[in-house]
Amino acid sequence: MAKMIEGLNIPRVEVDPVTLQVLGGSFKMIAQEMGMVLYRMSYSSIIRESEDIGAGIVDINGRQLCESESTPMHVGSIGGNVKGILTRWKLEDIHEGDIFIHNHPYYGTSHSPDLHICLPIFYKGQLISFSCVQAHLLDNGSHTPGMDVFARDIYAETRIYYALKIYEEGKRNDQLWRMILDNVRTPSMNENDLKAMIASARHGIKRFTELLDKYGIETVFSAIEDWMDYSERMLRNAIAKVPDGTYYAEGYLDNDGINLDKMLKVCTTTTIKGDTVTIDLTGSADEVYTAFNASFEGTTMTSISYIMHALFLDDDIYHQYIPQNDGMRRPVTVIAPKGCIFNPNFPRASFSRFNQANLLADCVMRSLADVMPDRVSAGTSAHIHFVSYNGFNKDKGEYWVYLEVDEGSYGGRCGKDAIDSCDALVANTRNVPIEEIEWHYPLRVERYELNPELVAPGKWRGGLGIIRETRFLQEGTVTCEGDRHIEAPKGLFGGADGHSASLTKNPGSADAVSLQAKLSDEEFGVNDVLQIRTPCGGGYGNPFERDPELVLGDVLDDFTTIEDAKKSYGVVIDPASMTVDAAATEALRASK
Amino acid sequence: MKRIGVDVGGTFTDFIYVDDDGKIEVYKTSTTPHDPSIGMMEGINAICDKLNIKHNEIQEIFHGTTIATNMVLEHKGARAGMITTKGYRDIIHIARHKRPTNFSIVEDIPWQKYPVCQRRDRYAVSERVTAPDGAELIPLNEDEVRAAVRKMKAEKVEAIAVCFLFSFLNPAHEQRVKEIIKEEYPEVYISVSSEVLPQFREYERFTTTGLNAYIGPTTARYIKQLEMTLKEQGYTAKVHLMQSFGGVASAKAARKKPVNLLLSGPVGGVLGAIWTTKLTGINNVITLDIGGTSADISVLADLKPSMKHLLDTKVGGYSAMVPMIDVGTIGAGGGSIAYIDEGGFFRVGPQSAGAVPGPACYDRGGTEPTVSDANIILGRLGRKLLGGRMTIRPELAEKAIMDKVGSPLGQDLYEAAQGIIDVMNNNMIQEIEKESVRRGFDPREFALFACGGAGSLHACSVARELGMKNVIVPLNPGALCAVGLVNTDLMYDFSKTEMQLSTNANLEGLSNDFAALEKKAYERLTEDNMTDDNIVIQRVADCRYEGQGYEMRVPIIGGDVTDETIEKLKDSFHEIHKKQFGRAFRDVAVEIVNIRVIGTGAIENLEPIEIEKGNGDISAAVIDERQVTFKVDGKPKHMTTKVYDRTKFKAGDVIPGPAIINQMDTTIVIEPDCVGNVNDYGVIVIDIND
Repeated sequence: MAKMIEGLNIPRVEVDPVTLQVLGGSFKMIAQEMGMVLYRMSYSSIIRESEDIGAGIVDINGRQLCESESTPMHVGSIGGNVKGILTRWKLEDIHEGDIFIHNHPYYGTSHSPDLHICLPIFYKGQLISFSCVQAHLLDNGSHTPGMDVFARDIYAETRIYYALKIYEEGKRNDQLWRMILDNVRTPSMNENDLKAMIASARHGIKRFTELLDKYGIETVFSAIEDWMDYSERMLRNAIAKVPDGTYYAEGYLDNDGINLDKMLKVCTTTTIKGDTVTIDLTGSADEVYTAFNASFEGTTMTSISYIMHALFLDDDIYHQYIPQNDGMRRPVTVIAPKGCIFNPNFPRASFSRFNQANLLADCVMRSLADVMPDRVSAGTSAHIHFVSYNGFNKDKGEYWVYLEVDEGSYGGRCGKDAIDSCDALVANTRNVPIEEIEWHYPLRVERYELNPELVAPGKWRGGLGIIRETRFLQEGTVTCEGDRHIEAPKGLFGGADGHSASLTKNPGSADAVSLQAKLSDEEFGVNDVLQIRTPCGGGYGNPFERDPELVLGDVLDDFTTIEDAKKSYGVVIDPASMTVDAAATEALRASK
Repeated sequence: MKRIGVDVGGTFTDFIYVDDDGKIEVYKTSTTPHDPSIGMMEGINAICDKLNIKHNEIQEIFHGTTIATNMVLEHKGARAGMITTKGYRDIIHIARHKRPTNFSIVEDIPWQKYPVCQRRDRYAVSERVTAPDGAELIPLNEDEVRAAVRKMKAEKVEAIAVCFLFSFLNPAHEQRVKEIIKEEYPEVYISVSSEVLPQFREYERFTTTGLNAYIGPTTARYIKQLEMTLKEQGYTAKVHLMQSFGGVASAKAARKKPVNLLLSGPVGGVLGAIWTTKLTGINNVITLDIGGTSADISVLADLKPSMKHLLDTKVGGYSAMVPMIDVGTIGAGGGSIAYIDEGGFFRVGPQSAGAVPGPACYDRGGTEPTVSDANIILGRLGRKLLGGRMTIRPELAEKAIMDKVGSPLGQDLYEAAQGIIDVMNNNMIQEIEKESVRRGFDPREFALFACGGAGSLHACSVARELGMKNVIVPLNPGALCAVGLVNTDLMYDFSKTEMQLSTNANLEGLSNDFAALEKKAYERLTEDNMTDDNIVIQRVADCRYEGQGYEMRVPIIGGDVTDETIEKLKDSFHEIHKKQFGRAFRDVAVEIVNIRVIGTGAIENLEPIEIEKGNGDISAAVIDERQVTFKVDGKPKHMTTKVYDRTKFKAGDVIPGPAIINQMDTTIVIEPDCVGNVNDYGVIVIDIND
């Protein structure tokens, strides 16, 4: 008897190798085009500049078939949202022309400001899949403008839409539409962004249907299964190359934002057995009573899927296209005890979850450093400082909200220095140009450059985060989801630890205040300045083995100093000629 | 008027001579990479000798060069320094803080590993202006500037980029720095952001200005040297250089702004394709230029090139925010390698066997099967290449294909070879679909223009798969770039960021700014001896809906900017947005981000030459007959196929498929059921039938 496609009453057929390639390319292209429509049509900078979005096609079992090349946190969570929608709707109650809006963190959403728009795809009268787009909208009616850090439960963190139809059979529910926009601080931006999201999802339907017309439903869906099997096979092959064993790494998040002296532990026990990986998070901190939890399906699983792909199938080593589809999850088991920070109980809030996701990925990476030394970096910033600058525009009668993802850095790597000033790991967004910010918001960016700390020494140096200073020209507030003010990124194989982050109000002035990493509605008056310094990654390998000419370059580039070159690297530089004193360096290094 | 076009490519330098009498001469030499002007002079001299023309009779030389591009790709530019605003020393290092790929830990970041200006050479000085009107917040500290310039002079920095925030609103500080540099270090190459690119987005502007400095000294020296050599050898011709947005610049203008030469490589081909397509009466064409390692694709609706979005104009990973003709490139060419990957999937490219070791059948040590090997096995390529100078060993192709593809997949030789071609073609089909769909076009309304060494081998199958009706093959696919070069105009682009809303536009300000840009364009063209008869000035605005981040080009009418001008602009923008994204937001204000003036100095175009009329009998053109394998009903089928000599065709000849046509620089495949028509100018237009 023919094998059937899961959930669909169609047989799985053999697809020839050429058609498989054609369809694989088409799946990728559809998702890319959906993303492109959204970036270019959308209004809020968090979508168009930060590209904080995801788009793709999902099957009726909630399995993701293809994804846009946007920030990885979204890429992994599209399918989970569909699964969440299907907890409330039977397939037979879904009709052509329906449009769902969804953002429930206990039903698949990574965090509640990521609105998910889902359009069913019907083919010859049959519901066969979904075209989905999700994006972080500027404000969704959270407690504080743009984001929320301290909400005690999900009802406080934002408006929750649990699988609501905003369109029914092609007709918009105007009352619901108004209800949604009446309860956010940036209604005009949100309205146009929602329209752009719907246009993007419709584009996905059009292109996917064309594919079905051309190749037939059996071939297309069989190819989808083949591509999932392929991604699974690729990941299993790569895992099998790593020696069996159990490996461990840990790290500490600052705190939940309220209990400031209670650090939150992250434990990752990684077990490789044959071609499978088990990640056990047992021992990690308990859930917290602020919005600093990580939803299991949308955040914890997404973070682990991300780091599996990056570690085992690094894009820079594997040049062929390996889709981040459901097959990638099959060799991986995640154990996260219910009630821990990575698998919170309802109704805990989980708006602020990115730092946990990044530190989790960082720990899993470092746990495997001994067996994959050429694939890892030393400790990364493993954070973001996600900042909402906002205020009320009296003329417009509407809030202005500017969201910025402040980037960190990587640690040193095998045979190469770290990456500085970039989004790390699960984040990969874009900054907003200063020349855009000053034009459109009552803010002035007075400094944006590399963090002036010395780089973490190593045979391969650690990366530098950034320093950024923003002055308010009108009064407003700041809400910030940050972390890593306490623990610094770890050095590896003899490399030094990096530097932690800090937030300061009015630095350098008499009333300078050092701030926590998590802020809620911190008031900023006219001329107040917020300074952010983000973490600098750890060094990799013994700094005394670093090529002295590279150390000289570091001195010339102000990544380190002549004194530090001597102390940390054993390199003696003649300050007059600014050259390496080879003999003195050799002697100094030999004496250690 | 006597004119020579010279296109310096990676391997060959192509020449074309044209004059008013309708004389055309095509010539080719090997490129001399260490000093491209050597090969260039050799070719120019050879043409003059052959045609018995005195050197001073050549009036114009049009030159396409990759010298600037190669410098960027090979990281061999000058030591360039930068003077920038205090607090922003690392804008070009941070970039947009996004990593090039999502799933990588070990990747290199080009702008950090090979910065165009190293951090040690970046000097931050006190100064600041801001939006919206360029108000000065902090005056320029001239002492800091002077100290920085002196330090750079001592360090023998060869070029200095001057990059201040918001300088496009108020260039006074940058201009003053320029004066100080000229006083302190007059011989250094200077690149000023408000001159190179007076547009908002600091990372892109700084990097573009930095790149201009990085490539400036060497490019300027090259152009100067070329002019001197020409002069020494008795040439008095004016030299023009091809720019990335499709027109040429005078040598003087090119020396000042060499960043405009980046990515000019494929432009000659695009212009050549436009000129050739005009001879066929077809209006919409997509070019497919397939070489050894890559394929270039450009969509030309109404035979007009479209421009890349300013955020997509990148060279070697660096942003160069200058106007560029939109040409998409994918890693698929004759040398692309076919293999079965670890997961058991069948792949072709992007890895390429290159020239060395090359395809297996070249017998230069290559053991990997390539697209060319598959074309040999299928009989699409003949067994003697380069007019018989190179002999092919098909048995090596057979072994490579069976070992690496056929046996693992359980396919026979022909199935495996056809599979390689199919995967290769599909890579190109998907790129063509993407390039057309994202502009709101349907590829079925276009003809496919085949060029490059391998374009016409694949064009028929690609066009058929895409539902396109015609394939166009030019007379000399190899010399197409040179044809494009001598059929271009002088073109200069001047822009300024405005950031004005349609609801509240400063009409007087816009009028004045347009007038100032037009004056610049006019003056530049008159410097090049253009006159009112042949100068055309166009206005364009880069617009978006208020709140959006992605601008699109909208034409704008001339004269004083009035309410009516803005109304017309809005209408055009709504239409363009609708065309591209399927909807317009008519109740949202339109933001005029940049204004742009394009000044064109028309240069007389090449007159096409008719070829001899035939009597319909093509038997004299047949040079061979062989078995060629085509895909019929999804399966490889061997068919007896005639092989023709292109040079023997006459106007009006009709060539029934299947057919193979040989010519010096390419091989044309006409698939079964398709028909080739030779037109009055020798261009072959193939009708594609399903």
